[in-house]
Amino acid sequence: MRLELRHIRHVYSPGTPFQVEALRGVSLSVGPGEVLGIIGGTGSGKSTLVQHMNLLLEPAGGKVLVDAVDATTLKKSELRRRVGLVFQFPEAALFAPTVWEDVAFAPRRLGLEEAEIGDRVRESLALVGADHLKDRSPFALSGGEQRRVAIAGVLAMGPEVLVLDEPTSGLDPASRQDLLRLIRTLRDTGTSVVLVSHDTDEIAEVADRICILEKGEVRAIGSPSEVFYANPDFAPATVSTVAALNETGWDIGHPVRFRETLRALAGLMEG
Amino acid sequence: MSVARSFGQFYPVASPLHALDPRAKILSTAVLLLGLFFVDSAAGLGLVAVAVVALVAVSRVPPLTFLRLLRPVAFIVALTVFFQVLFSREGETLFAWGILEIHEGGVRLGLFLGGRILLLVSAAALLTATTAPLALADGLEDLLSPLKKLRFPAHEVAMMMTIALRFIPTLYEESQKITKAQAARGADFAEGGPLSRIRTTIPILIPLTVGAFRRADELAEAMESRGYRGGEGRTRYRELRFRQRDAIALAATALVLAGAILL
Ligand SMILES: Nc1ncnc2c1ncn2[C@@H]1O[C@H](COP(=O)(O)OP(=O)(O)O)[C@@H](O)[C@H]1O
Ligand SMILES: [Mg+2]
Repeated sequence: MRLELRHIRHVYSPGTPFQVEALRGVSLSVGPGEVLGIIGGTGSGKSTLVQHMNLLLEPAGGKVLVDAVDATTLKKSELRRRVGLVFQFPEAALFAPTVWEDVAFAPRRLGLEEAEIGDRVRESLALVGADHLKDRSPFALSGGEQRRVAIAGVLAMGPEVLVLDEPTSGLDPASRQDLLRLIRTLRDTGTSVVLVSHDTDEIAEVADRICILEKGEVRAIGSPSEVFYANPDFAPATVSTVAALNETGWDIGHPVRFRETLRALAGLMEG
Repeated sequence: MSVARSFGQFYPVASPLHALDPRAKILSTAVLLLGLFFVDSAAGLGLVAVAVVALVAVSRVPPLTFLRLLRPVAFIVALTVFFQVLFSREGETLFAWGILEIHEGGVRLGLFLGGRILLLVSAAALLTATTAPLALADGLEDLLSPLKKLRFPAHEVAMMMTIALRFIPTLYEESQKITKAQAARGADFAEGGPLSRIRTTIPILIPLTVGAFRRADELAEAMESRGYRGGEGRTRYRELRFRQRDAIALAATALVLAGAILL
């Protein structure tokens, strides 16, 4: 699916002394099988932005387009199914007595047949590597396991776009790697992914395109190498290293991912 | 920060009312709340109303914001007036339509009662809007402390109040987040009758409760690790000082009220 935001504006508590202009005309899009990485400092508007993608927040101005169709004309339930949104710390919304029941919540709300619900729950739990937890209470799991289950709860709707708001915050390195692997798997099956993070190293490894938000505006959007090499304050360690090397007279191009960078460095040593 | 602007909310600006000792404000409000029950003339209510309006002006809380603070109770006021007007059979009949009769006495009583409740609520809203929650709890503890001799747990009650006040906005925020997270999973909170409403709130209430208990645990641990051992021998960071202006404020309230009762 192609999801597009056009000139989205959002104001919290308008007309009060607490008014905050969180988004000032943000435009971006994500295509099928594409991973869009959104980075930006705290308070830059990332969480506000992603809540517009399934219209949980209504924009004060601008449009959300789903395959070129105005999202406001779609049924809310359909929009929320097609654009799956995983909030930051999604485990805070686990509620059912068992993991299985919790993941089944969304497909139940879609009114699917019991057999279909079972298939979806099994598939989603398998995707996040949590099939062995299905009979446990979600409240008795570790933080990392809870996070996986919560993500499975959204995957069970079969979204065409998966939006993840800081999904790795508070996770150990192994769980982070698992999550990045999940994102690649989804992308390979044609699902679009929007990944919000403030960890640029992590986002550099999976994103096909990068958007930098700053004070509610898009500061830069484009391919990772364009964006990172032009905005050194947001650059991952690989880019900072290569940029420093290039400055001292070497020229090993503009690699971003770890492997690409290693290859470029290896080439340098051989040459 | 996202906070519900609602009844009981502190409005942080600098004003003469904000600067008063919380005990003076609590006592004045208490005197007013009790005294209002003895005000039985329209002129008396009018006098109190003028005083309340003047105090809102002094408090630097924008009038519109203040009205918004009252909004949650507007329904109760409207309901009270409505029932008085509808069910009272006193005085001249103003209007009759089938079994429906509206009497002059009912209208008078309804408006009077509505006005009285509105003033009660305004006075309470004024207290909480101009007094920081912590100051409010400190003041209350201090006022209740003579009761400690009677084994009344004044410190504990005040501490509970402080904690509750501190966590209301947090819980509210948390409930908003959980509601959105469940809406993203297709939950629909607007549909159905009361029974299905209860059913649809379960996915919110359970995580909210679980989260509240977790927070309570963390708070208890943090308090203990910092050496909190209850109220015994505890000193305050900010000592309360009852000054001349506090005495004047209290006296002024009593005076206006006496006038209103006599009118
Ligand atoms: N519910 C809310 N009510 C009022 N202001 C908010 C709310 N949520 C966020 N904000 C404000 O909007 C701005 C953007 O916040 P947010 O979208 O959470 O940024 P990020 O996710 O990038 O940290 C911040 O200034 C924040 O304080
Ligand atoms: Mg955020």
